[in-house]
Amino acid sequence: MTLMTAMATPVFIGVVMMIIYSAIYFRRTGPELVDGPPMLGNTPVQVAWIGISAIMVLFLAVVGIATLASSNVAQAVGAPGRSIGQSGGQTGSGTAGGSGSELQVQVIAQQWYFTYRYQDYGGVETTHLYLPVNRPVELHVTSLDIIHSFWAYQLGVKADANPGVDNIFHVTPQKTGSFQVRCAELCGIWHGEMADSQGRVVSQSDFDTWIAQQQKDYAAIQKAVPSYAPHYFPLPLTKGS
Amino acid sequence: MVTADFLSERRMTIPNNLVTAILFAIPAYFAGVWLGNLFGLNDDQNTGVIIGYFFATGAFLIGLGFLNYPLARLMGWPVAPVATTEPNVGVGRFFRLSLDHKVIGMQYLITILVMLLFGGIGAMAIRTSLLSPNSSITPPGQYIMLIGLHSVMMIFITSAVIVGPFGNYLVPLMIGARRMAFPRLEALSFWVVPPAAVILAAAVFWGGFPTGWTGYPPLSEQAGQGMDSYIVGFTLIAIALVTSGINMLATIITLRAPGMTWTRLPIFVWGIFTTSILGMLAAPFLAVALFQLALDRTVLTSFFLASNGGSNYLWQNLFWFFGHPEVYIFILPAFGIIMELVPHFARKPLWGYRTGVVGLFGVALLSWFVWQHHLFVSGIAPVLRPFYMLSTELISIPTGIIFLVTLGTLWRARVWFTVPMLFCMGFLFNFLIGGISGVYLSDVPTDVTLHGSYFSMAHFHYTIMGGEIFALMAACYYWLPKMVGKMLSPTIGRIHFWWMFLAFNSTFFPLFIIGILDMPRRVSAYDPALQALNTWVTVSSYFLFGSMILFAANVVYSLFFVSRLAIANPWHARSLEWQVPTPVPEHNFERVPLIVAGPYDYGLPNARPVADFGGLVGATSGG
Amino acid sequence: MAVRSRSRDVLPEAGVALDARVMATGVWLFLAADLFFFAGWWFSFFYLRALNNNSAWIVQGLTRPNKTYGLVVLLLVILSAAAYWAGSRVAVRSVLFGVLAPASLVLGIGACVFQGYGMWHLGFGLTQGAYPSVFVGLTTLWLIELVFAVSWLATVVVQARPAGDTRLRPHAAASFGWILLFLAAVGVINYILLYLAA
Repeated sequence: MTLMTAMATPVFIGVVMMIIYSAIYFRRTGPELVDGPPMLGNTPVQVAWIGISAIMVLFLAVVGIATLASSNVAQAVGAPGRSIGQSGGQTGSGTAGGSGSELQVQVIAQQWYFTYRYQDYGGVETTHLYLPVNRPVELHVTSLDIIHSFWAYQLGVKADANPGVDNIFHVTPQKTGSFQVRCAELCGIWHGEMADSQGRVVSQSDFDTWIAQQQKDYAAIQKAVPSYAPHYFPLPLTKGS
Repeated sequence: MVTADFLSERRMTIPNNLVTAILFAIPAYFAGVWLGNLFGLNDDQNTGVIIGYFFATGAFLIGLGFLNYPLARLMGWPVAPVATTEPNVGVGRFFRLSLDHKVIGMQYLITILVMLLFGGIGAMAIRTSLLSPNSSITPPGQYIMLIGLHSVMMIFITSAVIVGPFGNYLVPLMIGARRMAFPRLEALSFWVVPPAAVILAAAVFWGGFPTGWTGYPPLSEQAGQGMDSYIVGFTLIAIALVTSGINMLATIITLRAPGMTWTRLPIFVWGIFTTSILGMLAAPFLAVALFQLALDRTVLTSFFLASNGGSNYLWQNLFWFFGHPEVYIFILPAFGIIMELVPHFARKPLWGYRTGVVGLFGVALLSWFVWQHHLFVSGIAPVLRPFYMLSTELISIPTGIIFLVTLGTLWRARVWFTVPMLFCMGFLFNFLIGGISGVYLSDVPTDVTLHGSYFSMAHFHYTIMGGEIFALMAACYYWLPKMVGKMLSPTIGRIHFWWMFLAFNSTFFPLFIIGILDMPRRVSAYDPALQALNTWVTVSSYFLFGSMILFAANVVYSLFFVSRLAIANPWHARSLEWQVPTPVPEHNFERVPLIVAGPYDYGLPNARPVADFGGLVGATSGG
Repeated sequence: MAVRSRSRDVLPEAGVALDARVMATGVWLFLAADLFFFAGWWFSFFYLRALNNNSAWIVQGLTRPNKTYGLVVLLLVILSAAAYWAGSRVAVRSVLFGVLAPASLVLGIGACVFQGYGMWHLGFGLTQGAYPSVFVGLTTLWLIELVFAVSWLATVVVQARPAGDTRLRPHAAASFGWILLFLAAVGVINYILLYLAA
């Protein structure tokens, strides 16, 4: 974003200056309606303008593609000094890109809250998202009912939660701290309240303690919850229903 | 014989006008509901409501007289119109099916401005609700209804606000034609708009609809009867886009006067031309999506339910394949207006005319290849994203051409800063910001933060309101003297411009910051730390609404309280629409004019007037 | 009956020629829009078939629609379009047109009736997966367009009497042939997709 602002600012200032200059210096002087000089065009100027804008745009596109392609993506934007995520880009639906060392976390969205399941820890379902620092995480985002969007601002993650779809996103938290989770896709009347301010990035040992506690707390419920799966459907419709 | 010798539709036994139409529509609605409930398979009565709306619209159109001509031809009845006792004068012609493109243009203008008022009131309600960071002012259920109504009403409006009034009124005049190609189709494209607006407003009775204008399923399948208003209303607008597109293109292609070559065409007509191509071809995709949603909601098919073989991505792809060209339908006519007005006020030829036309076509063509930028975080295959990022960023090149052409026209000009010209300058500033913010959103890594936040709200309000609505204001101040024969007060106009420009920027610029600071869109509750900014925005929005009221006051004052009659050509412009008298005669030109020069030939020694009105004997337009 | 027009010095023949151009342009533009409309449905077909979410594109044990029945409807439409096309290429005053146009109308009405009956007795439920959904949506909308086209055809036939409009504006009658051909071609593609390639 900084690069784009750096490129946009001269363009903006340049055009605005041209507008203001025209308003001041190319005003009609006097009450008579006099015609201006009959300039029909100037090929070198047009070529230059189109060429320069094309170069700027292509440069931005190349930088953007390079950013997407690399696994060391730039810091999460918008929260200078507070960002704690280094997002590894999105893998999209269904293709698990990670090796075994990535922590597998499933984000389940529903009207109107998020829950999280840790596949490596018996599929325990928790109501807050805790992540260990400096460890690559593979997030699997899905939904139980309609489209939501998991937006963890400080982690630099935004991934839509679609029913029946396993939307995969990678992130490697780099600093401990807290992060805000909001829903970013209109999902009904309580869309605005579908937020969680208790996301945490903690040290590995704190994380182990926390997850063990979660497993203990939710042990009774775990038996009733459906087993971990990439997505969850209601019972299949039978013929004629 | 059925050329447009007469300008109102053949009458049947009952007089065909708006009153008849409404009287037909009301019982037809209830008949449709009854029929739908007989056959409907769904307990939610969606079938009844949808069929009821369609029956009501059909009966409305029949009451206006749309069925007269086709029915007469089918039954073999004589089709000679009752033209002698039905002259095309009087205020009643605005409430009837008129085949005169000028009347249709005025009908559009009044209808759309009234709709704009209601959309604006919705916006005021939304901003008032956002004075409080929790949902205390408006409960969430009402808030989401307001969002849906405001946004969809505005979409209906902005789809047609320039092409409808000004395209219809001016295109035949600008190309030297005495009529449009398909007057009945054009009238149809107007007369589906009031039913669409009423059906949309009717959603209030069902508690509105919860999806905003994008209608994403499965939420739209979960929704109550208010969603059916969205489906039927939007389908009617799609019909309007297709019929208007076909008619405009056929008119411009076939009915140009002799000598009106493609290179002498006013750039506004090129803007309408490119818009019509987009409208005609994109709206069918919307219709497909809406029919599928209607089927899912009524007979429980599963186009969009992943559990039963459907996919919510199907809607997103179909909708945005329409939706992205749709936003260029909003802005291309505005580009046409700006590039049209600036040469006439700068008293210089349009600088780089052919480049400008290429720019319009470039935008239109590229708009088909970018739609997946709305789906960057939806979970599409990652390999697709670089392509769409590139294609979206490429659109800024033809858009930049518009600025190039306009700034080049201003260079070393002798600009007459009238109120329309002020709005053109405001457009340039606003659209610059809007366009640049679009580049931010097109970059995928940045979009991850900005998608679905107030940043994208600010982007599209800058481009649509700061762009298209400012162009609308310019068009009103510029062309109303021709359309209604009176000048709007320039003094009030200047106050209106500065008030609107400053209030607009004060309202929408902070939204970029609010978006970067993590506030999602379409929410009634937000982080209390953002309350100060939101309050600033709300207060500014009240001022913005006030500026629109001032515009309305200017219109009423200038039209009804002051007698400043407009001369035929108050701006001393060269283009063809200013060479006819005010009020414009029934068939525009006594004889088909012979075009001998372009409309922007200012400053050229020995420039000829643009047309020879003696005409050629035996000429028809279309040469 | 002459072409009436306000400008006194316009030649009637020029007016008719212009009318022909306007009509032809309008029909081509409409067909372009209609092509995009059906393209949306064809996209839906391929997209949902490829995704096959929850293996529910075609659920187990679904009764497929009857291929022969669909073929009968398709043939009726093709014959109707061909008959009209052949008839409209010759002068509309000719006997050939006088025979072929009504024949085309009868075939067209037959197609609508057959297809309508078929839709009423589908043999599979609409809730059984995505393929029935696409089948119903695509076929119903094609049928609706066919009904409108056949009513236009009926108008052309009715107006083909000596005092009627078809004789005076043969260009409109000729341009209409494209619409029937288009609907027949779309019917062929629909048949291949829905009955053979699903």
